[in-house]
Amino acid sequence: MKKIINKPEEYTDDMLRGIYAAHKGEVRYVNDDLRCYCTCEKVPGKVAIVTGGGTGHLPLFLGYVGKGLLDGCGVGSVFQSPSPEQIYQISRAVENGAGVLYLYGNYTGDIMTFDMAAEMCDMDDIPVKSIVGADDVCSGRPEVRRGVAGIFYMYKAAGAKAAEMGSLEEVYAAAEKAKINTRTVGFALTPCIIPEVGKPNFTLGENEMAMGMGIHGEPGVWNGPLKTSAELAEESLGTILKDMPLDQGDEVSVLINGLGATSLEEQYILCGDVMHILEQKGIRVYRTYVGEYATSMEMAGASISLCRVDDEMKKYLDYPVNTPFVKCF
Amino acid sequence: MKIMTAAQLPDLLSAIAEEMAGHEEELCAMDAKMGDGDLGLTMKKGFGALPAVAASLEHKDLGKDLMTCGMRMSSVIPSTMGFLMSSGFMGGGKAIAGTTEMTGENYAKFLHGFANGIIRRGKCQPGDRTILDALDAAAAAAEKTIQDHPSAGFDETAAAAADGAKAGADATIHMRPKFGKAAVHEQQADGTRDQGAVAGMYLVQAIRNYACRF
Repeated sequence: MKKIINKPEEYTDDMLRGIYAAHKGEVRYVNDDLRCYCTCEKVPGKVAIVTGGGTGHLPLFLGYVGKGLLDGCGVGSVFQSPSPEQIYQISRAVENGAGVLYLYGNYTGDIMTFDMAAEMCDMDDIPVKSIVGADDVCSGRPEVRRGVAGIFYMYKAAGAKAAEMGSLEEVYAAAEKAKINTRTVGFALTPCIIPEVGKPNFTLGENEMAMGMGIHGEPGVWNGPLKTSAELAEESLGTILKDMPLDQGDEVSVLINGLGATSLEEQYILCGDVMHILEQKGIRVYRTYVGEYATSMEMAGASISLCRVDDEMKKYLDYPVNTPFVKCF
Repeated sequence: MKIMTAAQLPDLLSAIAEEMAGHEEELCAMDAKMGDGDLGLTMKKGFGALPAVAASLEHKDLGKDLMTCGMRMSSVIPSTMGFLMSSGFMGGGKAIAGTTEMTGENYAKFLHGFANGIIRRGKCQPGDRTILDALDAAAAAAEKTIQDHPSAGFDETAAAAADGAKAGADATIHMRPKFGKAAVHEQQADGTRDQGAVAGMYLVQAIRNYACRF
């Protein structure tokens, strides 16, 4: 394992210390707990949005805390859930009298965590609604699908609606709309190393790849010889469009996401192939995002997300955001 | 005692922690045959953290205090059993939110809420050979006591619940495990009580011992 760290067990907290030092005035922590990550900005009457999940996916999850997006994030250890107490304390700190939306990925540990926190908020008469991202088409039937990079669109929609001072129900509906219209397919080329474990969480041969692998190394749909970018684009889009059929003239936003160790050059090669296929099919593209949006430490690989857009979704995508990690104006 | 006040919660939790610590090796040995072998350790650690949490609270709402303690347990022992115990305490606390006294009737409500909390989060049912089998039987026994004697105190109700928990834990001897590593070692489960149910039984018995001490 070659990593720039001090002690493996301090990986998460050392990372957080660095973030707070770099972005003073933008983000802070509450309850004397580095892992209770909150925006510094309080807007009275605005619905607060809280997310959370394990470390190892930056800019997911905490990177989306800031203007036009989210208000707080519970930070777990590498690939581990935050605690219910952390989510509860964050909720108390960021709520502005208009309720809190819990928006996070569909993972068992996270669901238990957020459900318990919601029960505690209920005792304080803080209204909470919850919705999970579940966009990974290769991880099973819709109810059990894992949340991966496509949660970006839910963050964008909910964040914009909350910034426009929508009600808790309206913010939830915006997130739900993004969820219904977003699908992701991802693939891995190399594994990643959890610092405290010290060795790769799975192995792939020199010319082998894993289609459909999750962002924690969950098994995908096939392991086999490495394919070309054009072949990957075709197979991934085929899987997505089979699950979410689109007609000629439909409009989508495209998110090409690097998993951590795949160069931006490669991501744009993949992007070109995706755009070419969409053009052939007569599917229009509204906004294209290329870069790292949900990583898996230093895993090589990428994911492709499509979000079907209408005028309402376009408005959410156009809404300016500004966090230490994500800036679109 | 016929009634326990919210201010006595730290004492009760200390008594439970002591009881759990006393069964550490036994629970670990049971668990080693079926799972990780750390159940006694996690129960000792989880309950051991609670008296200090309870002592730091305001004692204005017994239900909320119990929920806060339950939530802490999931932070201290982030394991399946930790989450189930935690969910139980939160469900039980929620069932008696707003009260300041543990009467017999409130204790029956607490146990009922405890069992429901486990069902809700653990997605298990009575008969699945889990901690629920002890708590569900305890809740049923407590409810029957209150139905028969509406004025029964905390002590009387807790005594009936403890007997119920023991019967519930004993009944798991003949149940087939459906969850976790235990389901993999199904053969070994036959003829023994479920370790989670036994931990639940010790919890309910510790509460009885405390309630009947005075």
